[in-house]
Amino acid sequence: MDIATMAGILLGITFILIGISIDGDLGTYYNLASVMIVLGGTFASTLISYPLPKFLETLKSVKHIFLGKELDPGQAIDKIIELANIARKEGLLALEEAAYQLDDQFLQKGILLIVDGTDPELVRNILDTELSFLEERHSTGQGLFETMGTFSPAFGMIGTLIGLINMLKNLDDPSAIGPGMAVALITTFYGAVLAYMFFLPMARKLKLRSKEEIHLKEVLVEGMLSIQAGENPRIIEEKLKAFLAPKIRAKLDKEKAKESEEEAYADIK
Amino acid sequence: MIKVTRLNGKEFVINAELIEQVEGTPDTVITLISGKKVVVKEPVDEVIKRIIDYRSTILKALNEGNEV
Repeated sequence: MDIATMAGILLGITFILIGISIDGDLGTYYNLASVMIVLGGTFASTLISYPLPKFLETLKSVKHIFLGKELDPGQAIDKIIELANIARKEGLLALEEAAYQLDDQFLQKGILLIVDGTDPELVRNILDTELSFLEERHSTGQGLFETMGTFSPAFGMIGTLIGLINMLKNLDDPSAIGPGMAVALITTFYGAVLAYMFFLPMARKLKLRSKEEIHLKEVLVEGMLSIQAGENPRIIEEKLKAFLAPKIRAKLDKEKAKESEEEAYADIK
Repeated sequence: MIKVTRLNGKEFVINAELIEQVEGTPDTVITLISGKKVVVKEPVDEVIKRIIDYRSTILKALNEGNEV
């Protein structure tokens, strides 16, 4: 569960609602026509910009913004070291069995390539190609949200123009000018809120998560190639830890130390 | 040139002159001077034997050429 996303959205909506209610009346801010123009227009333009399969695919990626399963680099490195140890003791062919038990598809693919006796350069090529296409697919998803974030204020503007046009037609009734203007501006309000509270931040989050995932997969590639080269598992561990931020490194070292301490005490008992 | 077997069973020939290092990890990893690494099924001693055989074959052929 990504608390930040949920908290952010709730906080934002709450503050805006409070801000509105302090000086005005919440009812003024609701206008069905505005909702239709902004939401309808934004989705329409987005459908025009993106082929339908991409659109639906991206909607599926929305769950990443909210669910955000935490990628644990420490766990990934542990997995690599486990595989390295198996390879060290029983040879690369023993990895085949271990590979089928892996959850991570990317890791499994790499290990199976290695077990097949594929050239290390070729393994790296294949895995790098997969990574760059993963990155591309992710950026299409981010692009969709960025597009929606660009369109919604624009449709807000269009709604304002519609409101103004309607208002100017009835200029002979001065008492209707004020409310008319208010309605006209509501669409801009909706457009801006949609863009800056939802679409653009979501695009940013997707981008960050994508970067995290790709970084982790690059670590996995380095690890797998080191296993294939037959490097010492301890050396592999140090090599991979270098990819992590010092804080995470320190946390992992502490966990390791605690684990071995507990093991030592268990023996004494 | 020595014949070796990849892990997937495919035989291929590697240039013995370019071999920098052979290490058993336990699978044999042959490192070339280009930095490229190749993993083969044959154990380290077998690889060494094949390199020596290849060289001695050439030397014998040269020798016999001279004696004749």
